[in-house]
Amino acid sequence: MIDDTLIPFPPDAPEAGSCVRLEELGEGLAKIVLEPPHRSLAVLDGPLLRDFSMAVDALERRSDLKGVILTGRSPTSFAAGADIDAIANLTDQGQIRKLVTTVHAVFARFAALPLRKVAAVGGPVPGGAFELTLCCDLIVLTNAKETRIGLPETQLGIVPGFGGCHRLPARVGLPTALQAILTGRLFPAKQALKLGLVDRLAQVEDLERIASELALGQQRIRRPRRGFRGTSWSSRLQRVLDAVGPFRSFVASKARKSVLQKTRGHYPAPLSAIDLAKTSRGRSATEAADREADATAVLVAGRVAKNLVSIFLGSEAAKKLGRQEGAEDVGRIGVIGAGVMGAGIASLGAGRGVDVRLSDLDQSVLDQAELRHRKETLKRAKKRRTETSEVDRAIDRFETGVGLGGFAGCDLVVEAVAERLEVKRAVFSELAEACREGAILATNTSSLSVDAIASKLPDPGRIVGLHFFNPVAKMPLVEVVRGSRTRPEVVATVCRLAVRLGKTPVPVADVPGFLVNRVLGPYLDEAARLFDEGADIQRVDRLMLEFGMPMGPFALLDEVGLDVAAHAGRSMFEGYGERMQTSLVLGRLLAPERMGRKTGLGFFKHGGSKPVPASDLNGLRELPSRSHDDDEIVDRLVLALCAEAVRALDESVVETADQLDLAVILGTGFAPFRGGPLRYLERRGLSSVVSRLKFLAESSATPGRFLPPKAMVGLAESGGRFERV
Amino acid sequence: MVPVPRDQEIVLAAGLRTAWAKAGGEFEGEDAAHLGGRVAREVLARTGLDPSRIDEVVAGCVGPPHDQANVGRVIALRAGVPQQVPARTVARNCASGIEAVASAAQSVRAGDAEMVLTVGVEVMSAYPLIFGDAFRHLIGKLHRAKTLGQRIRLLTKFRLGFLAPRIALMEGLTDPTCGLNMGQTAERIGREFGLSREAADCYACESHRRAQVARDRGRFKREILPVLPLPGYGKKPARASLGVDDSIRDGQTVEALSKLRPVFEKPDGRVTVGNACGITDGACALIVTTRGRALAEGLSPLATLRSVRWAGCDPSRMGLGPVYATAKVLQATGLELEDLGAIELNEAFASQVLAVGKAFASRKFAQEHLGLDEALGELDPIRLNPNGGAIALGHPVGATGSRLLLTAAHELAEQDLEHSLVTLCIGGGQGGAVLLERCDG
Repeated sequence: MIDDTLIPFPPDAPEAGSCVRLEELGEGLAKIVLEPPHRSLAVLDGPLLRDFSMAVDALERRSDLKGVILTGRSPTSFAAGADIDAIANLTDQGQIRKLVTTVHAVFARFAALPLRKVAAVGGPVPGGAFELTLCCDLIVLTNAKETRIGLPETQLGIVPGFGGCHRLPARVGLPTALQAILTGRLFPAKQALKLGLVDRLAQVEDLERIASELALGQQRIRRPRRGFRGTSWSSRLQRVLDAVGPFRSFVASKARKSVLQKTRGHYPAPLSAIDLAKTSRGRSATEAADREADATAVLVAGRVAKNLVSIFLGSEAAKKLGRQEGAEDVGRIGVIGAGVMGAGIASLGAGRGVDVRLSDLDQSVLDQAELRHRKETLKRAKKRRTETSEVDRAIDRFETGVGLGGFAGCDLVVEAVAERLEVKRAVFSELAEACREGAILATNTSSLSVDAIASKLPDPGRIVGLHFFNPVAKMPLVEVVRGSRTRPEVVATVCRLAVRLGKTPVPVADVPGFLVNRVLGPYLDEAARLFDEGADIQRVDRLMLEFGMPMGPFALLDEVGLDVAAHAGRSMFEGYGERMQTSLVLGRLLAPERMGRKTGLGFFKHGGSKPVPASDLNGLRELPSRSHDDDEIVDRLVLALCAEAVRALDESVVETADQLDLAVILGTGFAPFRGGPLRYLERRGLSSVVSRLKFLAESSATPGRFLPPKAMVGLAESGGRFERV
Repeated sequence: MVPVPRDQEIVLAAGLRTAWAKAGGEFEGEDAAHLGGRVAREVLARTGLDPSRIDEVVAGCVGPPHDQANVGRVIALRAGVPQQVPARTVARNCASGIEAVASAAQSVRAGDAEMVLTVGVEVMSAYPLIFGDAFRHLIGKLHRAKTLGQRIRLLTKFRLGFLAPRIALMEGLTDPTCGLNMGQTAERIGREFGLSREAADCYACESHRRAQVARDRGRFKREILPVLPLPGYGKKPARASLGVDDSIRDGQTVEALSKLRPVFEKPDGRVTVGNACGITDGACALIVTTRGRALAEGLSPLATLRSVRWAGCDPSRMGLGPVYATAKVLQATGLELEDLGAIELNEAFASQVLAVGKAFASRKFAQEHLGLDEALGELDPIRLNPNGGAIALGHPVGATGSRLLLTAAHELAEQDLEHSLVTLCIGGGQGGAVLLERCDG
């Protein structure tokens, strides 16, 4: 019997036998149904595994059965995989190893049952859930829109440890298995069948009948022509090659190389998965299980997995903000200003099933926005093989119009016009007239105060900040800015919309730069100062890439636009004073033809195959040149950012340290494996960071940004950590 | 006539159209459902009407795309009208747009509906080419063939000539009962009423001039929704939306027109491509409801629909249809021709419009065909198509009726008129006429 000495049990664990139902279907057929009473979607947690093991016990004692079906509550609800909360809390390698081997033992007993085992699953079938179905002889998958199947473990810094690293390669061959494991993609039904992840698709209504007929041998699977298990010559060749050692090594080494290129060695899980999958062939099931258990124990106890899991859990928690009390569905939104941001927001909405009306003063700007929307929609459709009717709908939902006609029906309007207070105020007072009572009016401002914008309007409670990042389609974060008078249900509704648009909302206070731009301010300015002191921009960028940033600070400045960065810097200085004092470098560079990537020239010259440093950089430095060591560069940049993050937390710009770490990772790309700025500080040790900051402050032109924040000093002295929940 | 309470009068509550674009031009890549849906969606947005409170959608279209037999339904859904609202497509050749409004009005009058969204739409660019019967027959048999031998035997019957397409547009513009093309019917009445080629060219030239003036002073601005065209086959996507009717020829001259060769009756005919309407793409949406409901929704209606009449006539003289239909409208309302401040008479062909004018003024015609003692009256050329007509703008068949109504409705306010008339000839030998009346809030 499995108990909580082997696997952690959640506090609300139900009594034994209640999570898995074993049902007789007659004719020698039985059905295992995962339906834990304490979860809406089953999770492979302690109680479920305990009861699954009991069901296997019962089946082992039976000799009259011919087949068994493994299924979930419904054809579109099976299980969500391993217990992520448990993974977040497990730290003892021995305990983790015990857990994994226990699971393997149960799975192996199930796989060894002398019955025809057919998995009949659908909806999300990620990770452990898929690994469980891999123990069956056949997998039948629901051909439904919501079906997604795959092994996303490496995205969480772990490997598919419940058999995925050996059962999947055996099923689909090493190359396909590695593709599935390393991308962590969750495949739609048709693609899963094509790749051979499953054996057959069935409609929701037919799933159980077909699975029964297969289990009883009344129906056979027709083998495909193509693919790893196919009948064609190329399929046969694939199978032969897959057994050849050097071929496997070649595939693995290629995969390894591409992983290292992407991760710079910061992420151990994919490498470990490649190794496991490569060497899985020809090993006994117990041996393979042992190796997976070893690898999983190291990874789960490790820091990277903990950090990645915390990001995942943080995002999930943020998505729940859309289900708060008072959150309403928004059917139609208006967007004012068809610039890059406005057009991006409108396009995102129309692509996600929201009716959108985009307004600007000039028809030709609207035309460009619409053209871009259609192009992006078609591009996305091609990639995802979306149906034509869905493309049509995305195109139809994108309305444009000069002026504010047609805004009366909008439930929410997002303003994305020029970043000037008087312009925004004028737009909002027009909007207050044109929109229906109670419609939410949101501003996409990045540098102005929501309160200042709302101050003279009749109903300031409906004004809220909704700060998207550029490029809108790609950046996952949305800062939801609470003005001092913004109504809570307005915040809730806006969060709900953000989630519907596929974004992660983080509520922030109405302070200059909000959260993300506020912490980026000192980081980017410190980079400019390093440049002024003679540091090589390529070296600085390389060091930050090695730290784990998605791009270096100078590449980022060019991307953002030097004009935008300078404007943001100014407003931050106005808001925070000395510690945000900006260097004169940007002003020196800035010219109409030199605003970053959009004009082709910034710190780098763009347009070639790769950006190269501009040729005149030396003439733009004014401080006496001096040398920097790597540590100084990294610490000046990163600690300037982190110290500001601590100040923001202290001032309650966000509610929790978790939210702060999540927002900074999603908003700036801050090295995800480090778990965010606050986790990074904790990892380095707060007292050593405090002394390092003091040292940096001594030689800095802007010592204020390096003065250790009081909250940090306090925690360093008491040995505490930042408040998480 | 039973007097109707003012609240129950049927009105055109709002309307909007796309620009009229030459076929094979800007809207070549368009699809009737997208173009119609676009303009319908915009009317709903601008009026602020809740789409779920629309009772029905009616589209007029002569040649719906083959994959959208009930194109009205597709338009409704693409316009964002909820799926529980029913939709249908109606046709009466060139009057399909009016038919949509007329049948919507009937529904409202009968109490079956109160608020109807109507759309007239035609993308003539998309009219298909058709394989001949022989090839169709062969393909049909191929599909049913069971053995390889059968298939091969059938394939030997294939002839290269099977690939010659039939042009749906040309065949659609030919009357199957009299065998005449629409242009030939225009030649016929032109001859019978003794009209010259010069007269036709002069009329066409004036149509362009008026349209040009109207466009330049922004007369069509309030009618037209600029639409960014979907890209045509093999074309790069258009960089800008189309907001003006693109077949108006600036500075058109009679001299230039006189150089064109007749199309249907060579060499002496009077119908050329210059004095006939163009093949065109476009869509136009109109909201039909009661006056009371329109006011309750906060709209200011464009016009009251006073009278709608249809009439049949000789298919080979279909161009005279407006005379028969207008006679009925005048009789029904007790008005005289001179009471009509503006007349939107569809310009299928210049010689057809002129023939209609002659028939209006002819006592003999009135006696022989209309059962009247006296002629209907002279058509005042100033009041006739004051903003030009189909010769300059084009004639997207299913959408034209809707545009005529929209333009005539706006003309009431434009010239401060009491009444305006819309009338057109209909292939197959019919005429339609609608009397619009000023609708004061």
